[in-house]
Amino acid sequence: MTATSERAPGQVHPAPWLVPAVLVLAAFYAVPVFDVARLAFSDASLVDPATEVSTAAFRAVLSNPALPGVVATTLLFVVVNVVALQILGLAIALLIARGERRELPGMAAFRTLVLAAWVVPGIANGLIWQILFDEAPYGTLNSILGGLGLGPVAWLSDPQMALVSAVIANLWQGTAFSMIVLYAARRGIDPTLYEVAALDGAGPWRTFRAITLPLLRRAIAVNTVLVSVQTLNTFDSILALTGGGPGRATEVLALFTFNTVFYNLDLAAGCVLALLLFALGMAFTLLIGWLNRGASET
Amino acid sequence: MSAARTADILTYVALIALGVFFAVPFAWLISLALRTPAEVYLGAARFIPSEPTLANFATILSDPAFLIYLWNGLKLSAAGGGLAVALAIPAAYACSRIDFRGRGAVMVSLLAVQMISPLVILVPLYRWMNALDLLNRDISVIAIYGALGMPLAVWLLKVAFDAIPRELEEAAEIDGASRVDILMRITLPLARPGIASAFILAMVMNWSQFLIPFVLLERDADWPISVAIFNFAGSVSASTTQLLAAACLVAVLPAVTIFVLLQRMIVSALIAGAVKG
Amino acid sequence: MKLNLLAIAIAASPTVLGAQDLVTRNRVGLPDAPNTLTFRLTAYDLYSTDQDTKAAFEELFSEFIEARPDWKIETQLQTGNIGQEQARLLQQVRAGRGPDCAMIDSSQLAVFKNAGVLQPMNAVFSEEEVADLFPYVRDAITDEGGNVLAWWWFTDLRVLYRDTSVVPDAPQTWDEVQVAAEAAVEEGKEGILFNGGRWEGTAFDWLANYWAQGGTLVDENGAPVFAEGENRQKFLDAVAYYQRLVEAGAAPQRVTSITDYDAFNAAAAAGTAAMFVGGNWQYGQLRNTLPEEDFADWAVSELPGPTADQRATGTGGWSIAALSDDPEKAELCGEIVKEIYAGPGNAYQGLLPTSEAIYERYDAYDGPEFELFAEALQNGVARPGAEIYPEISNQIQILIGDVLSGSASPEEALEAAASAVQAAYERQ
Repeated sequence: MTATSERAPGQVHPAPWLVPAVLVLAAFYAVPVFDVARLAFSDASLVDPATEVSTAAFRAVLSNPALPGVVATTLLFVVVNVVALQILGLAIALLIARGERRELPGMAAFRTLVLAAWVVPGIANGLIWQILFDEAPYGTLNSILGGLGLGPVAWLSDPQMALVSAVIANLWQGTAFSMIVLYAARRGIDPTLYEVAALDGAGPWRTFRAITLPLLRRAIAVNTVLVSVQTLNTFDSILALTGGGPGRATEVLALFTFNTVFYNLDLAAGCVLALLLFALGMAFTLLIGWLNRGASET
Repeated sequence: MSAARTADILTYVALIALGVFFAVPFAWLISLALRTPAEVYLGAARFIPSEPTLANFATILSDPAFLIYLWNGLKLSAAGGGLAVALAIPAAYACSRIDFRGRGAVMVSLLAVQMISPLVILVPLYRWMNALDLLNRDISVIAIYGALGMPLAVWLLKVAFDAIPRELEEAAEIDGASRVDILMRITLPLARPGIASAFILAMVMNWSQFLIPFVLLERDADWPISVAIFNFAGSVSASTTQLLAAACLVAVLPAVTIFVLLQRMIVSALIAGAVKG
Repeated sequence: MKLNLLAIAIAASPTVLGAQDLVTRNRVGLPDAPNTLTFRLTAYDLYSTDQDTKAAFEELFSEFIEARPDWKIETQLQTGNIGQEQARLLQQVRAGRGPDCAMIDSSQLAVFKNAGVLQPMNAVFSEEEVADLFPYVRDAITDEGGNVLAWWWFTDLRVLYRDTSVVPDAPQTWDEVQVAAEAAVEEGKEGILFNGGRWEGTAFDWLANYWAQGGTLVDENGAPVFAEGENRQKFLDAVAYYQRLVEAGAAPQRVTSITDYDAFNAAAAAGTAAMFVGGNWQYGQLRNTLPEEDFADWAVSELPGPTADQRATGTGGWSIAALSDDPEKAELCGEIVKEIYAGPGNAYQGLLPTSEAIYERYDAYDGPEFELFAEALQNGVARPGAEIYPEISNQIQILIGDVLSGSASPEEALEAAASAVQAAYERQ
């Protein structure tokens, strides 16, 4: 592997091409990241600098009786969100793709609506959903359900339901990303495959199972990784919606980290939690890669 | 034909149901933005304000600072998105065109960077930027946006480059053009939609960033709208929810406009990439 | 480019023309004044979105700076995100980049005091002025040496609101609250509402019930003691009061989702609630929201206690403190508080002053509600000036959510809270 630009494609040294990216990461990102690792082994607070190297922060975080519950809530929140985001994103992508194939009007408007939800500031997301989930006698969703003879639902005051509500609010904002990725992948499938399937007399379900799903597998895998990482790091919309409550019912790891640093000013413990968040993200990525090991070879 | 008709109807039924889910929160935001302070306290008790007013939009838009916040937001997210793409182009090109041993490792470590949330490194980041004397300078925020957006951009651009036939480049190579020449003259123009979509996605993600500019920029005149919007979040003695709602709607508009104008391009770029994948 | 835009935008803005040209968006005073004070403030006065409030404060600041032509004040805006702003300010002070003078939420004062970053403003405030402050205010802003480390310029408190058409007489005790609330439920109303979700307001409002019995959260060294000795039973009794209200249906289950005082205004406007535990500032909000005849039905009274003579109410508000070690700047900071905020600023915004004298000085405090507020303030208790308070509050919020949603018994929840607070305390 010698670096000469006269060589045929495939035989150039990659290093010079990677330099700009690596340089910027190293200049602005590397020091803070290593600092997180260093601070995790210290006694630093937001006010006082580190004075010693210790594993006290690790011990404190790992022995915190609240941690297992927070991690369990986080895993549940991420898994449910990721699955729901894929299903919802896929459903919308396929519906729009179908609508466009049939030249039905209104598809672009619908797509824009979904995308608009993506860019709403996090604080507004919490504000709006709080009003929708309001359990007062005049609350929006419960009034609608009441009109249908259903409910009332304890959207935010019941611990289990509150997590479901947080997922719903997150879906509203997060579906756009999945939709874009999966819609593009769906549009990329060669239409002749569907024509052949139609000639064979395959029904919609069989076509979906035999053609659409297998060919979307790679896009779904990549999307799953990106969406899991995004969901894992979500805290602002939950903070605005429930603050993590009632009790700790909706306190995910990112919010727990945020509270540790910004309210308890415990920088060392916050850095330990940050490492934990990172490890969870890596674990998700590797797990998804492993589950999908067959498809990645295509 | 009637089976397809039925399916059309079912498509619409499903889309309308989903459309309601996505539209209702916006309807509430609009309802709040049109209220007088007194009606805001009615909360969910009244959906259509009895005295709708545009005064909140007038207040927001006549505040010179608000326009500056919008401009800051556009400037920072566009520059950050541009940097992300600029950094990603050579890296993605290498991953797409050069067969080298650690290629998989490079792609995975880029994903690892994506995994470090700003929340996690915030405090060390503030200290590091202070040490570099970059606090309160746009460049600090832009650099972090560039680093944050780059991994996704590399992934998108690699897919875009993969879709361009190598034969086109090989022809140029026979004519003696250098790699960089080929990239600039042939590959990049062909990958334009991919580049545009990577840029726009990076920009939109920057648009809603709160923590990074909040910590790195101390003067409110430098703030993007995503930070400044908290000024409308009320106080101990007065609720300004109606202004917050109006500000949110105005803040969403630029991003939505970009989507509307460019979604054809984004979509076609992603399709082009996906064909190959 | 940016500066030009800013200049053009400001020049074009009608609010800063004419008599107000001493005040620009980021500066008070003339640009070439030799001395500069940086002042970080909230968005509620000089930066208010309400044009009248903004103009009134521009006037106050103009007068202030005209008397000091050698100075200009560079203003820095802080967002309403109290927790994050506090962390950011501490970071900046530590990095030597903090403002000279800053507004600090009264609940955060202890952290700043303990961090040793507040500079005395003794030169500005006389002993009589300090003595005239409400006791909880005086304790919070002075250190052992009697130094004035901050000036708490307005306060607030919690009171019981009731719809007198449903609950004619003010309940004086917890039992009377429950009886009145249950009677209101019979009439199809929600009996009583209070903050029960995961936010500071929940812990703060509830603490009045604990303080009313003489309970304390921390000892004189700042160590948590709320689960020990006599405190323990007082704590459990106060939790049991809330728990009974919810279990009896006197308070709806939804209180565990209330994380905002505005929810009470909404319920009052909709006419669905008979009583709520709210802040004093909501009285003015109700006056502006409700039709006159409905507003006439609403009355405020002191928060009930376990018995009629055991009362307390939580008091909050904002302070201003000097962070610069230049004594001249610290003095100017103190003068800003004294001449602008604690006095005319209080009166203009209808915020509760922290000393008797100011109530008498301004007509703004003539309304009958202020008599009740001033009386209730006699039983005012501030959050303890201890570094551990935020974690205690956090654990109380979790505890109330768990108990009221039936996820834990009060005893279990108190055990969990006490050990979590102890663990956090040992890490400090």
